Amino acid sequence: MRRNWASLSGLFAVAAAAIILSAYSGASSPEGNQPQQPINFPHPTHVKTLGMNCLYCHSAANKSPDPGLPAVGTCMGCHLVVAAQKPEIKKLAQYANSNTPIPWERIHKLPEYVRFPHVRHVSAGVTCQKCHGQVQDMAQVYQQESLNMGWCISCHLENKARYDCAVCHY
Amino acid sequence: MASSATPLGSPLGDPLRRPNIATGDVQLPAVRDYEQVDREIIGTLHPTVAWFIGLGTAILFLIIGAAAWIYQIYAGLGVAGYNPPVMWGVYIITFVFWVGIGHAGTLISAILYLFRAGFRTTIYRCAEAMTVFAVMTAGLFPILHLGRPWKFFWLIPYPNWRMIWPNFKSPLVWDVFAILTYLTVSSTFLYVGLIPDIAVLRDRETNPVRKRIFAVLSMGWRNTDREWRHFARMYLFLAAFSTPLVLSVHSVVSFDFAMSLVPGWHATIFPPYFVAGAIFSGIGMVFTIIIPLRKWFGLKHYVTLNHLDAAAKLCLFTSLVVGLAYITEFWVAWYSGNKIEQEYFWNRVFGQWWWAAWIMLICNMVLPLSLFSQALRRNTTWLFILSIFINIGMWFERFVIVIPSLSHEYEPWQWTTYAPTWVDYAILAGSFGWFSMWFLLFIKQLPVIAIAEVKEIIPPKMRHGHGRHDQGVEHGGIANPLTAGGPHTTGGTH
Amino acid sequence: MSETPSSTGVKRRDFLKILGTTGALAGCNMDEPGKLIPYLVSPDNTVPGVSTYYATTCRECSAGCGIISETRDGRSIKLEGNPDHPVNRGALCAQGQAALQGLYNPDRHRGPMIRRNNRLESATWEEAAALLAQKLRDARADGSASRAVFINEHESGSFPAFLDGVLGAFGIPAHLPYHAEGDTGAAMAHQEAYGAAWPRLDFSAARLIVSFGADFLDGWGASVPQQLDFANARAALDRAPRFIYIGPRRSLTGLNADEWIDCKPGSELSIARAVLGVGGSAADAATQSGVSAERLTRLAAEIAAARPNLVLASGTTGSGGELASAVAAFNRGAGNVGTTILQGEQIVGLSGAATYAEMIDLVGRMNNGQVPMLFVRGVNPVYSMPKAAGFGEAMAKVPFKVGFSSYPDETSALCDLVLPDHHSLEQWGDAEPIPGVLGLQQPVMDPVFNTRATADVLLVAARADATIAGRFPQATYRDWLIARFPGGASAFAGALTTGLARGAPARTTAARRAVPPAAAPTGIEQTEGDFYFLPYPSPTLGMGEGANKPWLQELPDPVSKICWQSWVEIHPLTAQRMGIDSGDHISIRTSVGEVTAPAFLYLGIRQDTVAMPMGQGHTAYGRFAKGIGVNALDAAPSVLDPRTGSFLPVATKARVTKAAGHSRLVTTEGSARQHGRGIARAMLASELGTPKVEHGHEFMGDASHAFLPGLRAPVANDAQGELGSDLSASKGMYAPDHWSGMAKRRWAMTIDLARCTGCSACMTACYAENNIPTVGAPHQGPQLFPDRTGAGANITRSREMTWIRIERYFEGGEHGENEFEARFIPMLCQHCGNAPCEPVCPVYATYHAPDGLNIQVYNRCVGTRYCSNNCPYKVRYFNWFGYGEPDRPQYAFPEPLNWQLNPDVTVRSKGVMEKCTFCVQRIREAENRATVEKRAMQPDEFTVACAQACPSRAITFGDAAEAGWAVNELIEDRRAYHVFEELNTFTAVVYLQKVNHPAPGSPAPAAAAAGVPHGE
Repeated sequence: MRRNWASLSGLFAVAAAAIILSAYSGASSPEGNQPQQPINFPHPTHVKTLGMNCLYCHSAANKSPDPGLPAVGTCMGCHLVVAAQKPEIKKLAQYANSNTPIPWERIHKLPEYVRFPHVRHVSAGVTCQKCHGQVQDMAQVYQQESLNMGWCISCHLENKARYDCAVCHY
Repeated sequence: MASSATPLGSPLGDPLRRPNIATGDVQLPAVRDYEQVDREIIGTLHPTVAWFIGLGTAILFLIIGAAAWIYQIYAGLGVAGYNPPVMWGVYIITFVFWVGIGHAGTLISAILYLFRAGFRTTIYRCAEAMTVFAVMTAGLFPILHLGRPWKFFWLIPYPNWRMIWPNFKSPLVWDVFAILTYLTVSSTFLYVGLIPDIAVLRDRETNPVRKRIFAVLSMGWRNTDREWRHFARMYLFLAAFSTPLVLSVHSVVSFDFAMSLVPGWHATIFPPYFVAGAIFSGIGMVFTIIIPLRKWFGLKHYVTLNHLDAAAKLCLFTSLVVGLAYITEFWVAWYSGNKIEQEYFWNRVFGQWWWAAWIMLICNMVLPLSLFSQALRRNTTWLFILSIFINIGMWFERFVIVIPSLSHEYEPWQWTTYAPTWVDYAILAGSFGWFSMWFLLFIKQLPVIAIAEVKEIIPPKMRHGHGRHDQGVEHGGIANPLTAGGPHTTGGTH
Repeated sequence: MSETPSSTGVKRRDFLKILGTTGALAGCNMDEPGKLIPYLVSPDNTVPGVSTYYATTCRECSAGCGIISETRDGRSIKLEGNPDHPVNRGALCAQGQAALQGLYNPDRHRGPMIRRNNRLESATWEEAAALLAQKLRDARADGSASRAVFINEHESGSFPAFLDGVLGAFGIPAHLPYHAEGDTGAAMAHQEAYGAAWPRLDFSAARLIVSFGADFLDGWGASVPQQLDFANARAALDRAPRFIYIGPRRSLTGLNADEWIDCKPGSELSIARAVLGVGGSAADAATQSGVSAERLTRLAAEIAAARPNLVLASGTTGSGGELASAVAAFNRGAGNVGTTILQGEQIVGLSGAATYAEMIDLVGRMNNGQVPMLFVRGVNPVYSMPKAAGFGEAMAKVPFKVGFSSYPDETSALCDLVLPDHHSLEQWGDAEPIPGVLGLQQPVMDPVFNTRATADVLLVAARADATIAGRFPQATYRDWLIARFPGGASAFAGALTTGLARGAPARTTAARRAVPPAAAPTGIEQTEGDFYFLPYPSPTLGMGEGANKPWLQELPDPVSKICWQSWVEIHPLTAQRMGIDSGDHISIRTSVGEVTAPAFLYLGIRQDTVAMPMGQGHTAYGRFAKGIGVNALDAAPSVLDPRTGSFLPVATKARVTKAAGHSRLVTTEGSARQHGRGIARAMLASELGTPKVEHGHEFMGDASHAFLPGLRAPVANDAQGELGSDLSASKGMYAPDHWSGMAKRRWAMTIDLARCTGCSACMTACYAENNIPTVGAPHQGPQLFPDRTGAGANITRSREMTWIRIERYFEGGEHGENEFEARFIPMLCQHCGNAPCEPVCPVYATYHAPDGLNIQVYNRCVGTRYCSNNCPYKVRYFNWFGYGEPDRPQYAFPEPLNWQLNPDVTVRSKGVMEKCTFCVQRIREAENRATVEKRAMQPDEFTVACAQACPSRAITFGDAAEAGWAVNELIEDRRAYHVFEELNTFTAVVYLQKVNHPAPGSPAPAAAAAGVPHGE
């Protein structure tokens, strides 16, 4: 009886160590990160209500490794007239008039040693939501997926995408 | 202690449990009775000024080393003397050096126990403690020499989100297992051997706190026959268990080199060569430690010249083996007909590293030959001086293996040199500080000579005329079944 | 980065553009998500994260090569040769690559500066322009303008004419087109003999090449086209011309020669006369030159026999312009003009430079106070002229001095008004590489600093002056160019896409001031001293203009392999005699000065000569140049060639003594001998016919040597031959039929040693492409005599990070004879099919990718460095310090140098291993492109950075597993071999043996012998 207890405690110790290590190894993901943005941009309004395509603003996502951000000019294209009186739009106009770009808070960030060419994923039919979550429903955008390596790999395996290290790390 | 089971009357038939024979060369004529054993050995435990000074110095060195390491982590490995392609330097050398030191302890406490070599009795505790602390020291270096030490845990297999395991083909991963195993087993072995002695300390202790601690550590040892029987088994099995480690651990360490294709490393002779070297260096270190110790602690009548003499013979033998290995290496290089190998060995002895090679050859091959003379084997001063030379020589053996090979490899365009910086030296010194700190702490808390085992080999006559005595004798003497066991033991041996 | 711009003077507007991208600047640390800065108004036709390519013209030297700038998110990140350009045909030299570090140089002037109370203080452009305009107006008014002088860097194109136009309007005489390095003597001789100052040299047509100190591979003329033609000629193997080099020192060009005739400096002319049969006997040539008479007669016979041949002569040898003329005359007589010398395709950029005599004349006038105003643009005469010429002192006497230099160099430090010019990559312009072709120059990005194009500054000044404003209708130089461009704006815009157009630039009509011929100098033999003193322009730093670019400072000299340092070349036997050891300081004293530098023992120099490279020893010019080494010109007398009026660097003897002190040579060289290990192999042209010996199955475990790269996917198990384990039969992703398809490819490379000249352009290209940090000698920054002590030691502890290095091995000459052979071999990661580094890594940080690449995953590396220990080729490099971390003293990319970093390549962090990746980022990019365009990758669709730059076209990269790639045929070449083949590494890099051409009838040199590796 006592022997069992002894062995159990040993097992617990090992398990604890493993958990701590694996937690440490995966702890790098800022999952759920939901910062306050300089301008409270409502994705739902633009995507669901107005039915705009993601690529209208993030125009490079299907041409480039970088998805690209809409230039302030692009925003003003509509908002010179549309809803120009709303406080948030006033803020936008301020940036535009003072020739200062909007310092958006970054949410989805992979480490510098990871290459994620948006163009290949988009052209392979991976939806934006797969990685960025249901942005069209997010009044304020947050990071839904962990975006850590295990998460990437499992998707690559499911979809028979290459999973060799040097496909992303170089 | 195996003899402790004799009260049950059965053991003499059981070859495994034949008593630890007190042969002629291990008689302790100056030791009269158990009470004297307890008094004298426990008497060594009182801290002295000299001890405090020694401990302070050790800690100072440790701090210097630690500071250097912190600086190295901040600034980068470049502050050490690496000179590509010499990508390994003082740290790996010192790592192998300390692992080697460890081996003698296990050899003496385990293998010699199985071989019933009586002379081990009085020196094994000291040697074994040395083993544990040496391995503790060695274990630091593989981490210390990493470019990104904070990632060292990637060498340990554990479930992780990346679904990546360590590369089990890499000798460095084998190292991790070898060192950890060795540390676990040798420390267990040390602790188990200590239990009866801790019991004696417990019974002698007056300070209630310390008494409590000893009570816990001794696991409520009561000196019953049942305990002694289990103890004997346990100790025997542990001895049998550690024995293969003596061979395996340093073989694995040698694979770090033998498995690569670097000229001077890629050799099948490395495992036996390393094991012999390890034991050789270990015994050297045992002398370095035990000779001053028996003087300062007044234990000359326990650790007698006979014991040192016997140990010195072992030292001589391993030295011969190591020497043979050196010569074989050169012969193989010549016989292989491989120009690169030949050029490398020529460079080792007559090239840019001649001085290191000759330090190694003289300290490890030539000087120990003096031990053929019994007079010198029994001359503690000479043994001490020689042991220092052996320590130096063995450190340089590893230097000669690591540095000249890497600085003189296949690609002549990349032949370079190597010179350590103050950071290397500080961390080297720090490792000695770390080792000494633990050892000094040990010798003032726990007996450096196994009380129980010594009692087995002292003459039995002391039972008479020691009726009244203090508590200690009650426990240390009368209550100890060894007193009963004594006559049977000797009887058994007649 | 986000605080720096104001502090570094980087212009905010451009700076913000930078942040639009996720640049790989932070290394292997997962740092917190930062800010995302969008464009204000997205620039048309640019996609964030996708490179735009601008064709323009390289202005690093006057040859005017065509380059294509890869610009990403508003910053230029890489320069590559323009394949359509007639001069460089897609290749680019190290100096051209390093133009980027001139553009992003952190020490550039931040804006205009005006000297107030004897200090240069920064000013606004308005103030500066006003001051300039006013000074010019006054000068025009009081007529002093007629004595003002404008020194401009010598360049082809329209700017010289434009400049003279503006100057003329102010009454200033035509400008001085100065070119410190240019061989005006030879140009003059060529002009007389061929009617072209710098004809194209068709080495392929020649059967014999003889060069009298003409270093056509390193600095003499236009290196890139000459190297391309020379390499092509040598690649003809058995039909290749033999090459004989004559001169006291074996330069990089000399090391590429089959034979070196070491004559005394100044005796070249006598030899030329003797061997070219233009008067002069072998006997007295022998007495003068120290070369045996029979050798000279043999040479004469050989030259006579080999027709057509190509004889070249420098105008700056001890013999000066007379030699150049004599040789040119011979070529004309021998009918080489039109066959090996194509005057029709001349390099225009090398004609019409001002002679040194004109500069000396200017110094005289400045000393006499005849020069009221001096303008200097693009040159640095205070440094690049010998101290003895006293340009600096004379310049100080000029009342008003204007500098247009973009860098804080020695000359602009003396100026009263500094109007920093745009870098050539920031401004408009044109060049005339060859007659009838116009190479256009356009800005590839917005200016980094608050600088202005000199042309525009002058236009503003001219238009500000009411009386002449009418002559300058265009507001900017760009408009001026378009206005005179055939076809106007639209044609101009169209031409920009290729950067090339037909037509001629504006030509200047203004005549330059005539200069009286110089008096004949005292012959070199009459000067006092025990050694000939031979200063020569550095192949990497030129006459010092490259010294402020860390890439060039870190690029080892192709001959001595020393960097970040000055050195004195002395013959080993001489050194032995004088008790001088390598690195001991030697002091050289001449009639005009003394220099001291550590000794480099070099076989390729006469025993009675010491040589020293120029280019170091700057007293200004920024953090990377100032205070490093010494300037060889400090000891060189200012001697004029009486015939051509050009500068004769080799003109004096010197007293050479061993000085106190010793310093470790900052060299990347280990042993200069290959000890018969068959690394750089060579064969005789005569052996080419003999069948190739195939090795294989010589010992157990040796796989069939049919296993050449490409024949199948390299799996270690395959390489084990009969010892391969059946258990590992399932190869997973490594099976060619695996769905990932990666194992179908085998990326491989061939390097043709018959082509490689050792110029080292590939190294700089690699630095540029792969964000390789420059580490410096002790650390980046000045150190006159670096040592290896101190925690910062880098190259002094062989910690250079060159992913590809050029090894220079010597064959023969063990006892100091001058018959020795040099072999250059680029060494980079061999991407072994059976790599020793892979099994020893405990964490799989290095492993084998199915497509044959040996991968290093930086973020997985823990830094045990075991892989490097186990690498027989020693091509792995460790990050000893935080070279990529801004807060470190070792930081290699101080703002704005980090703008150049390639966003597709991770900047490695402290404590990780790195090495050549076969430009995996380019492979992935090509794969992505093909996949997105739903097509298969085309053979030779792309190539790696080193192969792209190589001006010898020695490197070929491709997929050896797919037919159609060029590399696929080359690996089967009769000369193909793997280095250390006997180690069973099955490398993906295949070398093609060098081919030697011994003198007719002479015994074969040790070449073939040294070709045999030890294993056999």
